Amino acid sequence: MRPNATAAALACLGIAAAALPLVAGDYFIGVGLSLLMYVALTQSWTVLSGLTGYVSLGHVVFYGLGGYVAALCWGELPLAAIVPLAGLAALALAVLIGLPVLRVRGPYFVILTFGVAELAKHLVIAIEGQLGRFSRVLFAAPGLETLFYILLALAAAATALTAVVRASRFGRGLLALRENEEAAETVGIPTVRFKLLAFGLSALIPGMVGSVMVLRSTYFEPQQLFDPVISFSIVTMAVVGGSDDVKGPLLGAAGFVLLSELLWASAPQIYMILLGLLLVVFVVFMPDGLARRLFPQRHGGPA
Amino acid sequence: MDTILFGQLSAAALVTGALYALTAVGLNLLYGTMRLLNVAHGDLVMIGAYVAFWAFSLLALSPLVSLLGAAALAALFGAALYYGLLRRMFDGSRAARRLEANSLLLFFGISVIVQNAAALQFSATPRAFQYLDEVYRFGNVAITGNRIAAFAIAVLLCFGILAFLRFHVVGLAIKALIQRRDAAAIVGVNIERVQLLTVCLGFATAAVAGSLVSMTEQISPFMGFPFTIAAFVVIILGGLGNVTGGIAAAFLLGALETFGVALTSSAYRSILIYGVFVLILIVRPQGLLGGRRIAQ
Repeated sequence: MRPNATAAALACLGIAAAALPLVAGDYFIGVGLSLLMYVALTQSWTVLSGLTGYVSLGHVVFYGLGGYVAALCWGELPLAAIVPLAGLAALALAVLIGLPVLRVRGPYFVILTFGVAELAKHLVIAIEGQLGRFSRVLFAAPGLETLFYILLALAAAATALTAVVRASRFGRGLLALRENEEAAETVGIPTVRFKLLAFGLSALIPGMVGSVMVLRSTYFEPQQLFDPVISFSIVTMAVVGGSDDVKGPLLGAAGFVLLSELLWASAPQIYMILLGLLLVVFVVFMPDGLARRLFPQRHGGPA
Repeated sequence: MDTILFGQLSAAALVTGALYALTAVGLNLLYGTMRLLNVAHGDLVMIGAYVAFWAFSLLALSPLVSLLGAAALAALFGAALYYGLLRRMFDGSRAARRLEANSLLLFFGISVIVQNAAALQFSATPRAFQYLDEVYRFGNVAITGNRIAAFAIAVLLCFGILAFLRFHVVGLAIKALIQRRDAAAIVGVNIERVQLLTVCLGFATAAVAGSLVSMTEQISPFMGFPFTIAAFVVIILGGLGNVTGGIAAAFLLGALETFGVALTSSAYRSILIYGVFVLILIVRPQGLLGGRRIAQ
C-alpha cells in the first residue's frame, strides 16, 4: 500500500533525525532546528491553506504569540507547561479572530491575514513600549538538544496531523469547501465550523514552535518573532514543495533551509531574491509544486 | 485643538492625501481591469523615489524633471512584466479561476525581489536630499515649497487621469473593461492593448508619486510597503475599481492618519493604519463609498 510506504519512509526519516544530536555538532543541530521549525510550520499551514484554499499570509502571528507567551512565562512556569500553553494561546487567538476573518474570502483573506499579523506585531511593540521593555532576555534557557527533541516531536505531530486530517471526513469536507463553498454548504457541510476548526488546528503547533524558538534565541524581540519573512517563507515553501500531500512541505522546507544556510549569513539579500524568484516561477509555471513533478504517479487516484 | 495646529495639520493631511491618491490610482486601475492584486505597488513608489534621488545627487536634476524618467522606467518595467509574466496568468481556465490569489503571490515575490535588489544595490541606509525646502506662510500655516509642489502635481495628475477616463477614447475603453470585460471585447475594445496600457499607466503614476515623496521624506529600499498598505486601504475604502471613490478615500485616509497620529503619538501610526485596514476588510469589503460590489 502506498500510504504505508510513505508512512514508513517518514518514520525512517524521523528516526534518522532523532539520531542527529548523537553524531553531529552544534552547527548541524542548529540547522536541524530551523529545518524542523519550518517543517512544523508549513505542515500546519497546509491544514488550513492547502485544504481549504484560504491562503494565510500571516501565520507568523501564531508563532509570534507563542514566543511572547513563552517570554512572559519563562522563569515562572516549567518548560513542560509553557509549550502547551503557548499552543493553546495560539489556538485561542485563531478561534477568536477566525469568526470575523474567515468570512472574508479569496485574495481579501490573504491580505487580511497579513494585515492582522502586522497589526499584532505593532500592538505587541506598543505594549512592550508602554511597559518600558524593548526586549526580554531569557536566562537559563534549555540546551540545544532538549529543544531539538521538542521540535522533532512538533514536526512529527504536524506531519501526522496533516495526514490524519487529510484522510478524514473532516478533511474531505475542507476539500469540498475549497472547490465550491456554496455547494459544500448546500450538501450539508458545516462550513463555518469546519473553517474555524481548520484555522485553530493550523495555529496550535505554530504557537508551540514559537515558544521553543524564542528559548533557542534566548531573547524576545517583537520585530524578530513577528517577522513577516517567516509567513512569506512558509507560503513559498508550500508553493514550491506543493501542498497537496505531506511530502510537499517536507521538500519545500528542506530545500529552503539548505539554501538559507548557504546564503543567509553571507548574502541575505541574495537569499531573499532567490526566494522571490522561486515563488514567481512556481506560481506562474508550476502552481502544483515540486512534489507533483517528482511523484506524479501517486496522484492518479483520489489523493 | 487650537486653530494654528488645526490649519497646520489640515495642510499636512492634504499633502498626504494627494500622494496617497496618486499612488492608489494605479492599483485601482490594475485591479479593476485585470483583477490583479499588485502588492508590489509600493515598491514602484520606492523606484520612483530612487530615480529622483540619483538624478538629483548625480546629475543635479530637479525631481520635477526626473519624474518623467521615473515614469518611463516604471512603464517599461510594467510592459516587461506584462509580456513576460502577467499574460501567462490569463491563460487556461484553472489559472484564471485562481487569478486573484495567484497574482497576489506573484507580486509578493516580485516585491521581495525588487526590495532586496534595491537594498543590495543602494544599501539599506535611508537617504534624503534637500530641494525646494524654503518655507511659505499662508496665514498661520507654514508649509515647505516641495510639499506644495508635490501636492499640486499629484492633484493635477489625479484630475488628469479622471478626465482621461471620462473623455479620451482609450480612457473610456479602460472604464469599459472595468465595468464589463466581456461586453467590452464584443464591441471591439482591443483588450490586450488596453491592459498593457493600464499596467504602464498604473506603474508610471506610482513611480511619479515616489519621485514626489522623495522630496519630502527619507527614502529606503523598504519604504514601499507602507504605501502598498495605504493604497489598499484607499481602494478598498473607495470601492474596488472605483477611481473617483478612491481619490476621495485617499484624502479621508490622509486626514485620519495625520489627525490620528497628532492626537495620540507617532508610535501608534502603524497600529492606526493596519487597524483601519483590518477593520475595513472585515466590516465592509465592498468599500465605504462604493455602492456596488465589483469584487468576487
